[in-house]
Amino acid sequence: MSTEPGLSVIQTDPILRVDSVTKSFGKKIIFNNISFNVQAGQVVVIVGPSGTGKSTFLRCVNGLEDIQSGRIVFEGDIVNAHSKNIVSLRKRIGMIFQNFNLYPHLTALENVTLAPMKVLGESRKLADERAMDMFRKVRLEHRASAYPSQLSGGEQQRVAIARALAMNPSLMMFDEPTSALDPETVGDVLAIMEELARDGRTMLVVTHEMGFADHVGDRMIFMDGGTIIEDGPPSELLKNPKEKRTQQFVNSVLRPN
Amino acid sequence: MVILIDYSFLLIRGLGITLWISWVALLLAALIGALIGLGRTSKRWSIRFLTGVYAEFFRSIPVLVTLFFVYYGLTLLTGINLSTFVAATIALALEGSAMMSEVVRGGLQSIAKGQREAALSTGMKAWQVELFIVWPQAIRVMIPPAVGVYVSTLKASSLASVIGYVELTKTGLLIRESVRGHSGSLLILVVIATIYVIINFAISRLGAMLEERNNFVN
Ligand SMILES: Nc1ncnc2c1ncn2[C@@H]1O[C@H](COP(=O)(O)OP(=O)(O)OP(=O)(O)O)[C@@H](O)[C@H]1O
Ligand SMILES: [Mg+2]
Repeated sequence: MSTEPGLSVIQTDPILRVDSVTKSFGKKIIFNNISFNVQAGQVVVIVGPSGTGKSTFLRCVNGLEDIQSGRIVFEGDIVNAHSKNIVSLRKRIGMIFQNFNLYPHLTALENVTLAPMKVLGESRKLADERAMDMFRKVRLEHRASAYPSQLSGGEQQRVAIARALAMNPSLMMFDEPTSALDPETVGDVLAIMEELARDGRTMLVVTHEMGFADHVGDRMIFMDGGTIIEDGPPSELLKNPKEKRTQQFVNSVLRPN
Repeated sequence: MVILIDYSFLLIRGLGITLWISWVALLLAALIGALIGLGRTSKRWSIRFLTGVYAEFFRSIPVLVTLFFVYYGLTLLTGINLSTFVAATIALALEGSAMMSEVVRGGLQSIAKGQREAALSTGMKAWQVELFIVWPQAIRVMIPPAVGVYVSTLKASSLASVIGYVELTKTGLLIRESVRGHSGSLLILVVIATIYVIINFAISRLGAMLEERNNFVN
């Protein structure tokens, strides 16, 4: 289901399994009966019109929202937003938000070292050293002592990526990571994400950047009206969409107006 | 004027007592207010309701009425004789905690939802998120209105003079009686008022400095 038939890929247990998941807020159904798997190392891009429930879906995966039916299994553990072990699960899932959500009262370095120290119990020395490795990775080693308010949007998002990376998660989720950025800094962030993909990171990316999806994504999922309309290689969805709705969406994103 | 200088020791003592009682009351108010304020942001409807009733109740009652209730009412009900100091402190703390709960609630609610979510998504436990992310930011928001609560508690402490507690205002009133007929009789009230103004101004400045020091948004 997750890989196309005909490709001789060694089939391992998927890192993330989404089985018939339904999410609603009160009576309002956001998505209904969604299923798909993510294999380790895959970059899966989720696209779709605004309000389709893409953000809500990511939030369900790390238990920030509960689900009403179905099952989400991450590395063999069932995701249950209300259980105590959700904490141990979240350690292994990094999340990057559209508006960064850096902690404004802490420096960039402290933003990155907080969770390794408080959650993983690392010493300050080790956490600092590892954080500096992360800062090199996102090319911000010279900004480690700055406060978020002193950083540009692109720099803030790169700190947020460093913060997630510092936990060495086995899945990284990005919720429109470049939507709040100035056009000239979008490229910096996408370049770092591409590098992470090349390092073999498993990534679930909600984005409107079709170039990135085509270039970096292994798979593309098109969501609309609370269901998955199409799931396949990005080039297929972009060039030969099977569904009319995918076609319309792709056209509207690639050729606005 | 000369006579007033003779009384200056008493005035300083009165000021010390006023600062002391309002400070003790403020600490109690902050402690209770933090708990009530937390309760008012609770997910549980029943907790929000009960703490909300507490806050509305003590905010609505004049401190003087609360004071009489504590000083005479508690004694009638329990038979325990409260000193004027204890009674005044309790009354001030009750009113102060109601105001503080409002300050705490406002501070906590001013923190964007994304802050908690970002912290939770790194695997922090709920209490860690509150301790390391929410409160350090919220306290900064709370400082200016908390200073306001202190100033108003300090002013309200003058009401303790009514049950015979000799703080700054009562000291002034006693002096005024003993210099009756002299020109100092009116002057003493001016002096007392001036002391209050100076003290409250100093507290506001201190609060502003505290706020400045906690300012991380440049
Ligand atoms: N806490 C909530 N309570 C009620 N409705 C909600 C809540 N959170 C989200 N929704 C609704 O769920 C729907 C999906 O929202 P979501 O943010 O997941 O969409 P999205 O696909 O990420 O859209 P966008 O591209 O604009 O980010 C929206 O209609 C939104 O109003
Ligand atoms: Mg969204």
